[in-house]
Amino acid sequence: MSNPNQADIRMREAHLSEGTLRRDCRTVLVCCGPGCLANDSPAIAKALRSKIDEAGLDVKVHPLIKETGCQGLCEKGPMIRIVPDDIAYYKVSLNDVEAIVEKTLRSGEVIPKLLHISAKTGKPVLTLRENEFYTPQVKIALRHVGEIDPHQIDDYIDHGGYGALEKTVKEMTPDVVIEEVHRSGLRGRGGAGFPTGRKWKQCASYENSPKYVVCNGDEGDPGAFMDRSIMEGDPHSVIEGMIIGAYAVGANEGFIYIRDEYALAVETIRKAIEQARERGYLGRNILGSSFSFDLSIVRGGGAFVCGESTALMASIEGKVGEPRAKYIRSVEKGLWGQPTVLNNVETWANIPVILTQGGDQFRQIGTEKSTGTKVFSLVGKVKNTGLVEVPMGIRLRELIFDIGGGILGGRKFKAVQTGGPSGGCIPEELLDLPVDFDSLTEAGSMMGSGGMIVMDDRTCMVDVARYYVQFLADESCGKCVPCREGIRRMAEILEDICEGRGQESDLDLLLNIGETMAEAALCGLGKSAPNPVSTTIRYFREEYLAHIQERRCPAGVCRELTTFEIDGALCNGCGLCRRDCPTDAITGSTKQRHVIDQEKCIRCGNCVDSCKRNAVKVR
Amino acid sequence: MKIVIDGKVCEAERGEYLLTVARREGIHIPTLCHNDALPGLASCRLCIVEVVEKGWHKVVTSCVYPVSAEIEVFTASEKILRMRKTLIMLLAARAPENETIGKLMQEYGLEKPDRFKKENSSDCILCGLCASACEKIGAGAISTVHRGVTKKIATPFDDPAADCIGCAACASICPTGAIKVQDKSGTRQIWNKTFELLICPDCGKPVVTREQAEYLRKQMQGNPIEYSGDGTVRCERCKKASAADRFRTAFS
Ligand SMILES: Cc1cc2nc3c(=O)[nH]c(=O)nc-3n(C[C@H](O)[C@H](O)[C@H](O)COP(=O)(O)O)c2cc1C
Ligand code: SF4
Ligand code: SF4
Ligand code: SF4
Ligand code: FES
Ligand code: FES
Repeated sequence: MSNPNQADIRMREAHLSEGTLRRDCRTVLVCCGPGCLANDSPAIAKALRSKIDEAGLDVKVHPLIKETGCQGLCEKGPMIRIVPDDIAYYKVSLNDVEAIVEKTLRSGEVIPKLLHISAKTGKPVLTLRENEFYTPQVKIALRHVGEIDPHQIDDYIDHGGYGALEKTVKEMTPDVVIEEVHRSGLRGRGGAGFPTGRKWKQCASYENSPKYVVCNGDEGDPGAFMDRSIMEGDPHSVIEGMIIGAYAVGANEGFIYIRDEYALAVETIRKAIEQARERGYLGRNILGSSFSFDLSIVRGGGAFVCGESTALMASIEGKVGEPRAKYIRSVEKGLWGQPTVLNNVETWANIPVILTQGGDQFRQIGTEKSTGTKVFSLVGKVKNTGLVEVPMGIRLRELIFDIGGGILGGRKFKAVQTGGPSGGCIPEELLDLPVDFDSLTEAGSMMGSGGMIVMDDRTCMVDVARYYVQFLADESCGKCVPCREGIRRMAEILEDICEGRGQESDLDLLLNIGETMAEAALCGLGKSAPNPVSTTIRYFREEYLAHIQERRCPAGVCRELTTFEIDGALCNGCGLCRRDCPTDAITGSTKQRHVIDQEKCIRCGNCVDSCKRNAVKVR
Repeated sequence: MKIVIDGKVCEAERGEYLLTVARREGIHIPTLCHNDALPGLASCRLCIVEVVEKGWHKVVTSCVYPVSAEIEVFTASEKILRMRKTLIMLLAARAPENETIGKLMQEYGLEKPDRFKKENSSDCILCGLCASACEKIGAGAISTVHRGVTKKIATPFDDPAADCIGCAACASICPTGAIKVQDKSGTRQIWNKTFELLICPDCGKPVVTREQAEYLRKQMQGNPIEYSGDGTVRCERCKKASAADRFRTAFS
């Protein structure tokens, strides 16, 4: 039997000698991440490829096009990068392809209109390094996303991939691996932030077999795409992490549980597993050792709650994806009652780096108790939205105002919601809060899986709470009383407050129901569901009181409680609001003060947004 | 091992549920979804208690919490009472007219909540016992459907229960009496389906449904119910009486 490792080396050499993967030639990276894909980036890749082939005959550049995962700044996609020149182009369309090939690739000329315009300086930016969106970022989990072709295992290997696995199985005992992960301080990236090393150690301590390792790729937070980007952009980092984890705890079988909607992630991981098997990284006697391990994919059950650990395991076992009541941890009795390690996609993707660099090196980044980095999907009312990876402990202010470029349309920051639908809203006073597990929890919110939604002063916090509670009302599995009935009544009360039927005693009642849910609900969904309500009451109590006592929505969002008026002293009669009003409720001649007919006004708020002079006021 | 519940030192076995220990010691903890034969649902959360382990306080549901260390337990601390009252209030908002919930309200000195909408009230508190019982019997005719606030117990597609054998185990285990069974003039109505009731040949009382008798015969292969020649069944009481009769004749 041939040594799989030798076969692997031979194949790599063959590949390198063909020159297809040489790093000294120019490469055009076309982002094919979720955002750019939606803007048809593969068509751009295709057009570039054929144009370059045509031009390549008499030009001495041989760019290689790779379809990569997300580059981060999705909202400005489709995005391409030319390396090693490091030129980044945004909002590229098919019409630009010719110019890119002829001007930039052939003559080295930059096309200004495709460059990123800095939100800070207003000037065009040539490279990623100079882009304020990327400079503060530190990429560990996303180290290859956007850099490599996820469908080519060789590209991963060329970037050092599977080196950690080789080191692990050849030079380290399972105990030493666990010690290294423990030393890194790595905490789970899927929500609760449980120390990964401790979880592995506990699992390893049980003698029963079989044992399992599981990857949680359910990513149920609406709008989040951190895990998706890793699975689609760098699948092997997750697979390599899982093989190392299995080696450490003594598992021979693993599952990657992927959200059902993520068809591309399923396909990418499936291909990657196959390739890893071909190279002997998965299967029997991995890299010639006595260790065997294989992986399969399980499609998710399609509900938010399926991401919860016990529901996820029930779902893999073929049962209804509902949480189970238990006080015995999965590391002792998990899948089919056997010792199981469950970690999130991003957690697994960190593992190879820890093994390569060592735990001590890893913990240099981040804070003492939250080491390393965290990937966030930064969305909402900021100028630069997208996927960012930052060191733990970064201030919210930096994330929102430096990386995010500040609030859109020159409005005022009001709150940032972290931690997904059951996270909390953090106000302006806490903008200097360090982003780490413990600080966010102390502030009443949580890290969650890394959703981050920025809200401006046109947001009503009662309405925000109502929105999330409504979402959770549909997503609660409905099994236990505090969650099912608590969410239902919270939703009812919040709706009343938003529609002008709030009562003085409602705030205490909401907090009381919230306490009972947080303590007595069966699973994490119900326990965290009160967060949006309790944090908004904690930080925006006056806004609730304005709704309840004055029947007024200060942000002008709750229709029943809003009246818009034009401030005659500020209005210059430009007529912009009149043009944008859907019901022709605004009248006034040019350069004259405009007025709103309250009978006709449907309180859509368009006029507030269109007025350049901030003359439309909420009463 | 020894644990302390509400100041009382109790003997407990490792792995035993806290509720079991408390009950043995005569300490009352309210429950709705717990049944010794079908443990593990833990859906009503009424049995919450405060556990102190090595100085750490935590709230656990006693019906599924296995004793594994020397802990101190408070079944009615201020916090527990406050939360239990909230749970009962939430249940009362769902099942305002229910007798079981009414008794709990009385026990905890609660008024009927008037802050909430009255629509969609239901006696069923979705504890899940009925579906578990039905599954355990082997019929599996009912289950929970939907999720979140629209969850309910139902037969497949809300049709008359195809697999239901009319045993009424679900109705008798239901803590709130939410499942309607109607036995009259030799028939039983349950889950939208009408069953014929077999009559005990001795006392003439209706005993079981025909489907149930058939089902039991198939399931147990042996002869769990005493069948008389004409296919009718004897009820438990007459069965015992007839056994006693035979006993008497044999030994007299
Ligand atoms: C309602 C709910 C949904 C969850 N969804 C996810 C998810 O989509 N992905 C995930 O990794 N963890 C999710 N979690 C957290 C998992 O239960 C579990 O803690 C995590 O996967 C463990 O991995 P980690 O230690 O690497 O974070 C969810 C938890 C709850 C309560
Ligand atoms: S807390 Fe909510 S989601 Fe979790 S088991 Fe209870 S009802 Fe289901
Ligand atoms: S947009 Fe502003 S300034 Fe212009 S007419 Fe309307 S209120 Fe007046
Ligand atoms: S019908 Fe009764 S037993 Fe069944 S879930 Fe409802 S309350 Fe529980
Ligand atoms: S998908 Fe292209 S930048 Fe995110
Ligand atoms: S009796 Fe324990 S949760 Fe219902």
